[in-house]
Formats: sequence, structure tokens, C-alpha cells
Amino acid sequence: MPGSRSWAPALFLSIMGFLVVAFYLLPLLLTVWASFTPIRDWRVESLGKSVGLDNYRRLFYLIRHDPDMGKVLETTVVFVSGTLLVNVVGGFLLAVAAFLLDERVSLGFRLLWLLPRMTPVAVFGLLWYYFFHGNGMFVHFLQALGLLEGPTWIGQDQRFLPWGAWFIIIFVNGLVGVSYGMIIFYSAFKSIPRDIYMAALVDGARLRDIILKIMVPLTRWHIIFVTVWQLLSLLTTYAHLYVLVEWRVVDKWYGMTWSLYVFETAFGSTVSDQALAAAAAVILIVVGIGLGLATLRIMGFERELKPVRGDI
Amino acid sequence: MAGRRAISRSVAAVIVVVVIIVAGAAAWLASRGGGGGAATTSAGTAGGAAAAPPELTGNFTKDALAIGRWLEEHGVGQVTYTVMAAGDPNSVMRMYGIVEAAEDINDLWSENGVNVKITIKTDWSPDFKKQYDNFKSKYELGENGDFFVNSYIYIAPLASQGRLLDLTPWVQKYQGYFSDFFQTLMKAGQYQGKQYGIPQDTEARPLYIRKDVARCMGWDLRGLDEKVKNGQFTWQDVYQKAKEAVEKGCADWGLIHRKGSAHPDLIQFIFAFGGKLYDPQTGKLVVDKVAIKKWFQVEYQFARDGLLPRDIMSWDWGTQIHPTIVGERKADGGDGNTLFDIGGTWYWTEWQSKKYYLDPKTGERRPLTPEEVAEKFYYTLFPAGEPGKQPVTLSQPFMWMIAANAGKENPHYNDANYRKAYQELAFLIVVKASDPEINAIHSVISAHLPVSKKAANLLKDPQWVEKLRNHQLGLHQDVLSKIADIIDKTADPINIQFLANVTYMLDYTHFAPSHPLYDKLAGIFADAVDKVIRGEMTPDQGVDYIVQKVKADPDLSANVEIIG
Repeated sequence: MPGSRSWAPALFLSIMGFLVVAFYLLPLLLTVWASFTPIRDWRVESLGKSVGLDNYRRLFYLIRHDPDMGKVLETTVVFVSGTLLVNVVGGFLLAVAAFLLDERVSLGFRLLWLLPRMTPVAVFGLLWYYFFHGNGMFVHFLQALGLLEGPTWIGQDQRFLPWGAWFIIIFVNGLVGVSYGMIIFYSAFKSIPRDIYMAALVDGARLRDIILKIMVPLTRWHIIFVTVWQLLSLLTTYAHLYVLVEWRVVDKWYGMTWSLYVFETAFGSTVSDQALAAAAAVILIVVGIGLGLATLRIMGFERELKPVRGDI
Repeated sequence: MAGRRAISRSVAAVIVVVVIIVAGAAAWLASRGGGGGAATTSAGTAGGAAAAPPELTGNFTKDALAIGRWLEEHGVGQVTYTVMAAGDPNSVMRMYGIVEAAEDINDLWSENGVNVKITIKTDWSPDFKKQYDNFKSKYELGENGDFFVNSYIYIAPLASQGRLLDLTPWVQKYQGYFSDFFQTLMKAGQYQGKQYGIPQDTEARPLYIRKDVARCMGWDLRGLDEKVKNGQFTWQDVYQKAKEAVEKGCADWGLIHRKGSAHPDLIQFIFAFGGKLYDPQTGKLVVDKVAIKKWFQVEYQFARDGLLPRDIMSWDWGTQIHPTIVGERKADGGDGNTLFDIGGTWYWTEWQSKKYYLDPKTGERRPLTPEEVAEKFYYTLFPAGEPGKQPVTLSQPFMWMIAANAGKENPHYNDANYRKAYQELAFLIVVKASDPEINAIHSVISAHLPVSKKAANLLKDPQWVEKLRNHQLGLHQDVLSKIADIIDKTADPINIQFLANVTYMLDYTHFAPSHPLYDKLAGIFADAVDKVIRGEMTPDQGVDYIVQKVKADPDLSANVEIIG
């Protein structure tokens, strides 16, 4: 019977194991492999040839000499850090608001913030296309405040670059991503025993004290999780950025993060250089792993995993 | 220890199961035949290798019957192809021309007792660049079109990748037939001396001028086309007139042009300023700094003076560009208007079939009638950039191309003889689709120019035009039903006259280079001109940007000469 017990979990685990191998591990290995081949224009037979480190050399040559690659790197740093801040801090504050609201109102409030995540990318992109259009609502709003004159593409106009473009991509992606943190943090706040809040209130604690001295420490694990998860997501996301760049809501290069650069290099109509894209993707993977591990270390992930001391 | 062994056993079991599943999936995928994706029935291999199919002779009827009989004798009752085509809404004969041709062959077979039928699946895109991407990315999966109807500029990259069928031997057999085609266009279908594309259409890119705006500003347009032809009216004059039109309140804009890419419309500036894009002696692309700078100076000046929208490169074709070209002044309740437009001949009928015009009287959008289009628009060559230079136009002939894996959807494709039969048949379909009548119909309804003398002659025949108007040309019902509406709106003597009037422009035409990296270079031009129009860069900075981008890319720098 012990034998059959060992097969049961294996059977269940194998399904997930298959998914991980087929959809994560194999594409990852294929990407690394492709980065050493001359594959372009989807000529799959090129996967059997090797060009050594040539693609990496080309990539670093481009980084040094292409006038737009610096913009891609800057945009990646600003976009990831700015949107991460919005998603984690914003998500936390939204969760606090949802927690403090009456349950029925809170439900509607949370659903409202989930709408951007539920809206198809193209529809959501179109909404912001018209909003940030040169003659769109946002510009009218700034005109009403006397801050702007005439039609202006905030994300393209040289007077506002690069921050105009960065503001838009962070704003749009922040709206999509902020609900994720909100849901996680809200459920975490709900899981904190009610007695703790009550005791704090009886002791005369203010909202700020409750947030900083109860909610933050007791949801530390969730904060680490959301931060790392969002960091890795933002490093690799490109769908909304693609729409904003394609429709020229934002400047092509100040709207292009490293992941979108990978996509454009692999699938763009004028390039289709899958080998170069694979090399850029490998760099992204390495940076992602490094940043993920660094974040876990900085935020004290190991401390959270330590077994509880004392009697239970 | 027992627990650890149990865990080890579990892990080992998981690995074994995963390996089995992955191996099974791989085996299943492999069994599908990889890139070709051919459906092979047991009859194909059980009977051993098939006899070689008949060679093409140059006699269409004889060849079509011979191939049909060969297919029937070898157990093939149905042949399926897919056509991937692209273009403006009125250019659907690029797709239905193939369908019509296949139906003609079906009729021929049926009349002669050949029991085989060709079926054509269609795949249309309004964006020819996106369709090119589709073709490339689907090729390795065997999901690309067997027929690819697109710009000749894609012949070089696709042929160099071995993705197009070399038609040279068959074109030689049909030399008599193709001798009627305009030979400059046949040449555009070649790459490294081999014929990969058969011309489907071509066009000119006139400078359209709104007659009503000109009248408003007191400008008599009579004889302007001759002045342009003689280089007496250049882009310096275009700028002055555009400025005057806007300053007098006759137009909201001085100039409107395409969005998105620099190829092909804006590339005309390089030629109009006497520049070049390709050096035939070295086989390299050329960045002509002087000509490009002059092009950028024109765009920069127009945009700075509010004559050209700074965001024109991100305007929408259907809701902004065309409505403004055909529209009325905003002050009069329209979408806005312009004095000049850099367009293409096909605009002429597109304005007649699409609801671009916002009628201030009714507040409704509607297509223009042929009479209204003729009343609104004057047209000339693309003027010389400056005195002393020549006017130009640029043609981007579309080609019938046949994929190197054509016929892949059919039985026994992996057998070389069957494959050859399918590919010969694909060529015969292209021959039939190049029929003067099919080509002339396409020309009339889409305002593209015909590719052969016989097709051009049909356009001069009033009886033929009348038959087209009355749907009496014997098109198959499934094709006719798809284009009847476009025929009704566009088969008009005014449009035929327009085609006759613009044909002289082909004497001034230029072609973009047929080079595998041209598309990549044109993409850099597009980025640069967008930045210049928006004011993000001066013309000098725009040129420097192009040079830097070219030098930063090892492929481009090895294939591009920078001059000037």
C-alpha cells in the first residue's frame, strides 16, 4: 500500500508538472537556445545552426550606439519602479479604503477597481487613446485649468517628454495592476482577528496608527508577495504598452520597455529578428531573477519562513 | 528516512509521468508532418511513387486539362488552396481574381469531363504590411496562403528566404502571354534575375488638389499639370499655395498625407529632390542625406506653420485622413478640409464607395458620387522638390506570388510529383487570374492601373464598360455577389477617364528598392519623419538620427551606403 500512496500525489502533481515543463521550462530553454542561433523571419530551420555569442554582441552594440536604446532602458526603469509603487502602495491604500467602507459599498468599490483588469486590452487602450488624445478630455481639463493651450499630445509633445509618455504608461498600467494588490491586501486585512482592531480603537489608536502598527506588520508576507509578483509582472508586461505605442498615444521609444522591445524585435513587421529578441529576453530573464531574489532578501522573506519558536 | 524515500519515489514518479506526456505530445506533433502540414491519405503512399505530372507547354487550355486529368488519374478529386491578399476596400479582386480563375478552370474541367474541383479559401487584410507578417509567421506552420498577393517589395525578403516559388521556367513557357504585360512591371517581379511575382496591378501617386479650395483662394488651376510636368511648379510653390489657402480661411489644412509609414508615399520626396535609395552597382541601399534633409525641411516647415497636422503620422485613415481630404471646412460644419493631399490613384474610387464625406446639409456620412469626386479634385504628378528637379510618382506594383509550399493542404503533398502538379496548377490559376478582363475589372473598381496592354485596351472600350456596369461579364455568381456593390458605385465613365488621364504618370514612375532590408530602413525613415513633423527633431537631427540608427545596426551598416 505504501507504493500506491506514492503514486497518488505523483499523478496529481504530474498534471501541474506537465504544465510547468511544457509552458514555462521548455519555452525558457527554447529562448536561451534561440539566442545562440541565427533565427530570423521565423525560419525555424535556423534553430539548428549556431552563431555563438553573436546575438549578444549585436545587442550590446545596439545598446552602445543606437540613439533609442538608452530611452528603452530609462523607460524600463522608470516604468517598473513607478508602476510598482502605484500598484503596491495604491493597492494597499485602496484595500484600506475598501476595508473601512460598509461591506455593501465596499463590494461595489472593489468591483469598480477591477473593471480595468476585466476590460479587454484593446478596449481599455482605446479608452485612454481618446482620453490622452491631442484634443482629448485630459487636454481639455488642462486647458480649463489654464495650464495648456491648443491640442497637445502629452505623450508625444517634446515639451512634455519623457515624463508625459511615462506618466501615461504608468497611469494606464497602474490602473490595471492596482486592483491585484487591493484584493490581496483586503483579504489579508479581513484575516486579522477583529479583536486586535477593537482593542486598538479602545486604546484610542488613530487610523494612521492602525495602518502602520497593525495592518502593515501583520500583512508583511502579503506585501512581500505582491511586491515581488508585481515587479516580475511589470518587467515582462507589454500588452497595454503595445497598444499605446502602436496608436502613438505615447512616443515610440519613451513608451517602450525592454519587454516591448523584445516583442517588437521578434514580431515587428520591419524587423522579425527572433534571435536578437531571444538574446534580449534572456537578459530580461536574468535581470528578473536577480531583482526578484534581491527584493525577497531586502524585504526579509527568509525571516518570514522561519519556524515559529516556542510551544504551540 | 522512509518519508524521504517516499518523497523521492513521488518525485521520480512525477518526472516519469511528465516525460511520458511530453514525449507523447512531441510524437503527436511530429506525426502531423511538421511545416508542410500536408494531409496524406493511405492511397498516396500505398501505391508507390506517382508518375511525373505533365510539363507545362504554354498552351493554357491544354495545360489545365492535362493537369486536371493527371490529378483525376491519381485519385485527387479536390484541390484546395488559400489566397492571402491585402489592400484598400475596393481592391478585393486581388483575392477574388484567384477565386474567379479557379472557377474558370473548374468550368473547363467540367466541360471536358475532368472530375476534379478547385476550392479557394480566402484571407483578406486591409493592411498589406500586417498580411506580410502573417504570411511570414504562418509559413513554418504550413498555415500561410498558397497565393500571396502583396507588394513587390516583399519579393526580395521572401525569395531570399526560399519562401516563394521560382516561376521563371513556367513564365518562359508562357512568354507569348506575358509579352503583353508592361515589362517594367514584369521586371519588378524579379529578384536576382528570377521571376517570383506576376504583376497584378500598379498605380501612380498623384498630388490631389481641391478645386473648391483653389476657387475660394482665387487660384486658376488650368494648365497646372503641365507646369508640374515641366518642373515649373515645385514643392516651394506647393508650400506657398498651402499657406495662402489656410491664411485666407479657405482650408483648415494646407496638406494631408498618409500615416504610419514613410513607404511608399513619402519616399517620393527623396526622388523629387533628385536623391536615390539604391545603388545598383553595389547592390546596397542608400541613405541620401541631402535629399532626405530637403524632404524633412518640407515636412518640418508645413508642420511648424500649422499647414500639416503635427500628429498626422498617428491619424486614422477612416475617421480622420480621408474625411479631411474629401471634407468641408470645420467652420461650415464639415470634418475640416485641405488644399493638397499626397494620395494614390485608388483613392479616387475609395471615396466613392466608403462613407468618408460628412455632408453638412444632412449631417450624415456618405460616399461621394463620381461626379462629385471629379468636381472636387484636380490631380498632378508629385511636383519636383525644387527648381531644376523633375516631378515624380512612385509605383508599388502588387504581385501574384506563389508560396514555395503551395498545395500543402492537398493529398500526397510530400510526394514530389503531386507537389509539382499542385504548383503547376497554382501557376495556371495565376495565369488565368491575370486575364485582361479580370485585370480590367480590378482597375475600374479600385482605380489601379492595368498591368497589360490588353487590359488597358478593354478600359477604352465603351461596350465592355457598359457590360461591366450591367453585370454582364460572365463573372461567377459567388464573385459577382461580392463585388456587385462596388461595381455599381464605381463602374462609371468618369472613373475610366480618370485612369486614362493618370496613365501618363507611369512615365515618371520610380520604384522602391527590391532589397531584403529595405523595409527595415523604411521603418527608420518613418520614425524620423514622425519626430520631425512633431517638432521633436529638426531636419538635421532627423537625418543624424537615421545615420545613427543605420550605423548602430550591424546588418544595416553592412548593406547601406550613406552619401551626401
